[in-house]
Order: sequence, then C-alpha cells, then structure tokens
Amino acid sequence: MVETSNLSYAYENGAALVFPDIVLPPREHMLVIGPSGVGKTTLLYLMAGLLPPSKGTVAIDGTELRSLSRKELDRFRGEQIGFIFQQYHFIKSLSVADNLLLRQSFPQKGGDKKRIYELSERLGLTEHLDKKVTALSQGQQQRLGIALGLIHRPKIIFADEPTSNLDDENCSKVVDLLKEEAQICNSSLLIITHDQRIKCHFQNHIPL
Amino acid sequence: MKLAYLAFKNMVSKPLNLLLSLLLLSLSVSLVTFVLQLSQQLDGQLSKNIAPFDMVVGAKGSPLQLVLSSVLHVDFPTGNIKLKEAAALQKHPFVQTAIPVSYGDNYKGFRILGTETEYLDHYEAELSEGTLYDKPFEVVIGSKVAQQLNLQLGDRFTSSHGFVASDSQAHDEHPFTVKGILKPTGTVVDQLLITNLESVWEAHDHDTDSIHKEGLKTSDHQYDPEKEITALLVKFKSPLGMVQLPRFINERTSMQAALPGFEIQRLVGLLGSGAQIVNGIALAILLVSALSIFISILKTLRERKQELALLRTYGLCTAQLLGLALMEALFLALLGFVSGWLLGRLGIWCISQYMQTSYGYTLQIKGPELFEFFLFGFVIALTIMATLLASRSIFKLNVAKTLSDV
Repeated sequence: MVETSNLSYAYENGAALVFPDIVLPPREHMLVIGPSGVGKTTLLYLMAGLLPPSKGTVAIDGTELRSLSRKELDRFRGEQIGFIFQQYHFIKSLSVADNLLLRQSFPQKGGDKKRIYELSERLGLTEHLDKKVTALSQGQQQRLGIALGLIHRPKIIFADEPTSNLDDENCSKVVDLLKEEAQICNSSLLIITHDQRIKCHFQNHIPL
Repeated sequence: MKLAYLAFKNMVSKPLNLLLSLLLLSLSVSLVTFVLQLSQQLDGQLSKNIAPFDMVVGAKGSPLQLVLSSVLHVDFPTGNIKLKEAAALQKHPFVQTAIPVSYGDNYKGFRILGTETEYLDHYEAELSEGTLYDKPFEVVIGSKVAQQLNLQLGDRFTSSHGFVASDSQAHDEHPFTVKGILKPTGTVVDQLLITNLESVWEAHDHDTDSIHKEGLKTSDHQYDPEKEITALLVKFKSPLGMVQLPRFINERTSMQAALPGFEIQRLVGLLGSGAQIVNGIALAILLVSALSIFISILKTLRERKQELALLRTYGLCTAQLLGLALMEALFLALLGFVSGWLLGRLGIWCISQYMQTSYGYTLQIKGPELFEFFLFGFVIALTIMATLLASRSIFKLNVAKTLSDV
C-alpha cells in the first residue's frame, strides 16, 4: 500500500534526514517509532505528499506521488489518505456532524449519512453530533479526530502520535479502536509515535 | 456538503465582523441609491410640472418664489397683480396663451386654485368622472386629492384661508361642490382643487357678490379689470418671446416675469452640488467598506490558517480554498448591497411621506435602475479585488508546517 525508497529530506537550514525504506502491504498495520525530533512527522508528511522529498520516491497504492500534478495530488490525498493528527484540527464553525459530512464530501464523493451514524455510534459520538466541536470534551475531540480520519474509508490511515496525551487505560483503548476501525474499513494503518507503551500492540515496527 | 454552505457557516460564525462590514457596505449603497433616486425623481417631477409654461408673470419679489408658488404650488405667492395689467400681455403677438391663476385657500391642506379650464388642457388632465366646473364654487379635483380626502362627486366642503390645513378661518358661507374628478396625470394637478377665478375672488371679497348674481362665465374673459390675480402663466408663440418679454415686463411694468425653466435649473443646480457632496461621502464609505472586507478576510484567513491546511488534507486544492474565501466575501457583498438598496428605498419612502404632508408631492418607490446594476457590478468587482488581495496567503500556505504548529 505504501512504499518508499531512498527517502530523504533537507531542511532549509541544511540539516538533512535520511529515512529507512518502508513497505506496508494492504490492510497491514505498522508502527514507526522513535524519540522526539528525529523527523517522524516530516516522514509522515513526505509519505502523504504534503512535503516534497529532496530525494527518493513515495508510492501509495501503486501511484507514484511525484507523477501527479499539484491538483491531482490534492485530490488523490483527499480520497486515499485519512489523517489522525496529534493536535486535533476541526472546522470550528461547523457542528460535529457537519465536520464529518464535510470530510466525506471532498474531493467528489457525496455525503453518506448512514456511515456517519454508524461510525459515531461505534465511537460514542452519536449524542454529540449536533454540538459545536468546541463544546466537546478532550476525549470526545480525540474520538472525533479518529472519526475524521476514517469516515471516508481511506486506503491508508496515517496517525501522528495518537496516544501521547493519554493515560495507560485510554492509550490501549485508542490503539484498539484504531486497529479495529482500520480493519472494518479495510485500510492500512501507519502510526507514528514516540510512545513505547503501544509497541506491544504491533508486530511491524520501524525504528527511527 | 457544498463549499457554499461552509462559506456561509464561516461568515455567520463571526457576527460582529460581519455586522461591521455589512453596515458600512449597506450604508454607502443606500446613500448612493437614495440620493440618485431623490434627485432623479425631483428633477423629473419638476420638469414635468414646469413644461406647460414658458413664463410666469406675478408680483415683484423673488423669481424662484414666484415659480415655486404659481407653477409648482409649494411656496407662498409674492403678492397679487392687477388683472388689467396682466390682460394686456394676453394680446401680445409673441404670446400663445396666458392663463390667469388666483389662489390663497386650501381644503385640508390641498390648495384651491382659481383658473380657467384651459389650465387643465396644458397638463393634459382629463376627467375620470363628472364634468368641468361651470359656475363659481364648483370644483374639479385632482386624483390624489380625491383619493386622500375620499371626496366623491357632489360632495360639498368649505375652504379655509391660507395654505395650511386648519379649521379656524373657514369660509363657511361659500361651500364648494365637487363636479368632476381628474385622472392621475403625474403632475401638480393631481394635488389641486381647481375652480374658476370668481370663486377665489368671492371667497375673499365679501362685498362683490354682484359678480355671482350676474352669472359671469369663465370662458368669455370678461372679468372686472380692477380684479387682482396672483399670477399669469404664459406660453409663447415664438422663442423670441423668451428673449424680449421678460425683460420688457421686468423693466417697464410693476410686475415681475420669471422663466420656470431657468429658475428650476438654478434650483436643481443648487441641489445637484449637495447631491455630489453626498455621493462623494458615499464613495468614501464604499472604499472604507471594501477596506473592512479586505481586513476581515485577511484576519479570518490568518485565524483559519489551520482549517485551510486541514481542508487541503481533505483534498481541496488551492483554487477551491480561494473560491471559499471569495464566496464568503460575495455573500457579504450581496447581503450588504441588497440591504443597502432596500434602506435607500426606505429613505425615499420616508422622504415621500414627509413631502406629502409638507408639500403635497410624493415620490415613487421604483424597481432597480440601470445605474444600480452598474453599482452592483462595481461593488462585486471591488469585493473580488479586496478578497484576492487578502487571499494571497492561500497560495503560500505551507500545509505541513501549519498543521504541526500548535
């Protein structure tokens, strides 16, 4: 599903990062683990085509990202990739339901209310659908963040430090939830983290 | 979900910003459209009302006042002139028609004008029902008078002295009878009660009842030459009259001649410079409102930088983000323009109510004019320009960096 080769990235100040090759087969889960500051988030953005690599290539589902135009890349990213961010990003002027609906509606798919209802049911968000996102608790925001990464049935889910702010109990819960939802969506799951607690949940590790 | 919905939600999520930009925009639009409508309609009404006559002859005084009082029926007359003196003008070779008018009373605020029936022909006023007046104290009434006072054929009423409605000085001994009601003409005739000259004289000269008894007819011009009239309305046979007669009258007689066209042009010129000042102010407010849209878009884009980056990960391209900002600004421009336009028309309505009670004139509430479509285009173009200028950051948006920044 995701294949990188010889990936490297040079910052403006000249510091360069070289990443190990990653090969993640369809529907598999993988953990990229390493301490803060080694460029984990950069790797994620490179794989998602949000940053252009200095060298090397990224292919997702057989499509070479470099071969796409800017607009095609935006569209491809929107359709194929789901993001779960370390900081939650929402559209604050929209309700919970509208945030999910918006995520489903681009680049071209129409809204699927049944899917929104099912997913929020599983994530315990059903009774909050009409609320403003700013009215949600931390935990609810976290679950909405996960929902936004999954709602459009992406081929690959990129999760950036999904557990860093959580206690042990919630940490396990979130990891289980992610694995379960990825399974249901038939998506590949790639988690980037420094959190050693979740190592035991995955067989596939890549240290950075 | 449509992008337009998101744009709308974004717009209403900042009600105070929205209100300020809306207020400025609608204020400027309402000023421009209001002033334009007012000057156009006044201009139109004035020229329609003065068109039938080339010259007014009346007592010495302000020429503008003479025109306003005797042709437009808004001001007080400058005084009276002798019928004898005025009658001499009727025979002048340059003069086509000269119609004497005499007035000084009102009924519930509408002026009673004593004149010949020929006066009505000059305004192309036709009867909608009844007949023309024939004897003293018979009146035909303008359409607006009939409508507002709910007068019908055969109704009787007594006039009161002066031009302001009051019951104190009613001429109780001479009741008028409504003989005819005129069709609407869109001129000053609509707001007049028109009777013959004798009625006006008799209502005021209580010792000349003899005229009534002799049954003098209005059509044969055989008035007592010692009688006074307020003014003589003149139409020239040749343009030469315009050049020679006014000067002759002003220099050689005790009367005054005024040219309505000239006086009204002067008046409109005065009003016009006022209108230009207001238009200048309106333009300044419009530019400030464009600036406020610019600043508000700039501010919103800065505040929503992370949301824009998020939308990029959802698959929206730069052009779509720009479209989102444009839609938000255009919503605002549309709302501001429409509310400003309505506000301008509301202003016209208010002025119209005021003019109705003070002068008897009314203004029409008209649909959108060609100029207003141009104005709309200008506002939209200005909004698009302000938005594009404010949206340059969208093109430079670094999605990866923005999403990582807390």
